Amino acid sequence: MTSTLHKPAERQQTVPPARARRPKRLGQRGVGFFMALPPILLIALFVGFPIVLAFGFSIGLNGGLNRTIATIGQNVHESDAWWGTLAAYEEMFSNQRFLGDLLVTITVTLVSTITVLFLALGIGLYLKLKGGRMARLLSGLAIVPLFIPVVIASWAILTFYSGTGFLRSVFAIVGLDFPVWAFTMVAVIIGSVWTSLPFAVLMVSSGLQSVPNAMIEAARDAGAGSLRTIVSVIIPMAAVPIIIATTFTAIGIVGSFTVPYFTGPNSPNMLGVDMSNYFSSFNQPQQSAVMAFTVFVIASGIAALYVWANFRSAKEQGKV
Amino acid sequence: MSITPVSRARADSSTRRPPSLDSILRSALVGLFVILMLVFILGPLLWLGVRAFAGNWTFPNLLPDDWTLRWWQVVFNDGALGIAVQNSLFFAPLTVLVSAVICLPAAYAFARFDFPGRRFFLISLFATNAFPKMGLFVTLAALFYALNLMNTVLGILVVHVLGTVVFMTWIPAAAFAAVPRNLEEAARDAGASKLRVFASVTLPMALPGIIVAAVMSFLASFDEAQGTYLVGAPDFMTMPTQMYSLVLNYPTQVAAVFSILLAIPSVALMLSAHKHILGGQLAEGFQIK
Repeated sequence: MTSTLHKPAERQQTVPPARARRPKRLGQRGVGFFMALPPILLIALFVGFPIVLAFGFSIGLNGGLNRTIATIGQNVHESDAWWGTLAAYEEMFSNQRFLGDLLVTITVTLVSTITVLFLALGIGLYLKLKGGRMARLLSGLAIVPLFIPVVIASWAILTFYSGTGFLRSVFAIVGLDFPVWAFTMVAVIIGSVWTSLPFAVLMVSSGLQSVPNAMIEAARDAGAGSLRTIVSVIIPMAAVPIIIATTFTAIGIVGSFTVPYFTGPNSPNMLGVDMSNYFSSFNQPQQSAVMAFTVFVIASGIAALYVWANFRSAKEQGKV
Repeated sequence: MSITPVSRARADSSTRRPPSLDSILRSALVGLFVILMLVFILGPLLWLGVRAFAGNWTFPNLLPDDWTLRWWQVVFNDGALGIAVQNSLFFAPLTVLVSAVICLPAAYAFARFDFPGRRFFLISLFATNAFPKMGLFVTLAALFYALNLMNTVLGILVVHVLGTVVFMTWIPAAAFAAVPRNLEEAARDAGASKLRVFASVTLPMALPGIIVAAVMSFLASFDEAQGTYLVGAPDFMTMPTQMYSLVLNYPTQVAAVFSILLAIPSVALMLSAHKHILGGQLAEGFQIK
């Protein structure tokens, strides 16, 4: 693994001036609109519409297309009024199992995201400021998980930290007892960090690489120490890619299923797993939908940060 | 290689002096970090890889007591596993194709045209990522029951394509946008038709981005497990969904063999496109412009 993270292909000089120069014809705008439509329609039909439908189901509006699932499911709350009922939400938010899951989900997301961010920043900064073979080895290493399907990664991590895993074996040889991390939240955090690392490292290092070296030299000439240079020059200049990396990592982890399903305990586990339990094993689709919307509320809070960061970057480049 | 470390000039002047305690300590710390990362990243994979060839393995030995190829035979002789491989190899290319037909024109439009709702469209694509996948599949289930898409090829295809839309739109859009306008205009001035310009200037220059998008989409489909399981199991088992039942019902060595088989296409595809992925095509695509 001696691959290099390159500077993104000259981001600044891409679109804006040319686009503004050309007078826009009405026909072209129409063509653009219709070319862009197919994926939007696909998403409207199979993401947007089901979400609206499921929201209706979660507040007890069981008619129409929700009829089938409301009939199949058990423990379904139904609303008499057109505005629905919060009965399913009340049930879940007084359910200890769900509250435990919620806490675990938030904790795992926070701890894993912060760890991933620190690792990505550390590797990215090392690559930017020091360079050399060691830095390339590190960044290459961090990309490896991108090559491995998540199912396999989760399972590999489970066996590595299991009762007969590598770490326990090494410690046992020396005569020490190492804790079993398989089927605990520690393994879930390790798995989440493992699988999220490549994207964060790619995003963050590409952002850090595009900070001009002249700026860093200038800060140093002005007497700033390494830490000062990093905190007040490099990181603010790469803020947008860093925020994008953070939000995508957090959103990926908060809704994750495979990693906690394989490596985590039965209960409490992350909401992604219990959502599927409630849906398939317990046949309580309405409760499952409530969980989905809880995760969605968290994720959309994070997503708002992402959209804001992108708008800020667009504004800086004078496109809005 | 475009990396020019800032400190190189300084480092050169300092190498003549004998290394200070501080610098020794610093390189020791870096070395320790690299070793930890090696164990953290590669450890689980090697540990799993060895298992595929292991006979008996006594705890706490670091290597198996004896080696065998028996588990490979088990996998190759098992019909259900073979069907899973076939299903995976059927859905993944089909997904890439369908996704490309739906998304690539849109990617071009996002890069080249300014139309009402452009930014709203770009962000609404992101909704597929913001909504938790498992939650999305749970909500999809209601619709699929109503439309009779449960346990159908079309249903699974929809699930797989949904997972690729962001890749197939964002990454090629960034690639199209990066093609310099004046090159296209020069070709137009030289008398080339619009189609000709697209085919011989725009497309070849945007190709790396499209390839990265195709590879990511192929892998997204190839790795998709949760939705396929919910919509397709037990009628349509793909390799990753088969992994779920393998881990529960077979010896760990069989799952290890299957893991290696499942990882081969991913690793091969990623290696073939890794230059473009690391070259920033992926990172570029995730910044909405």
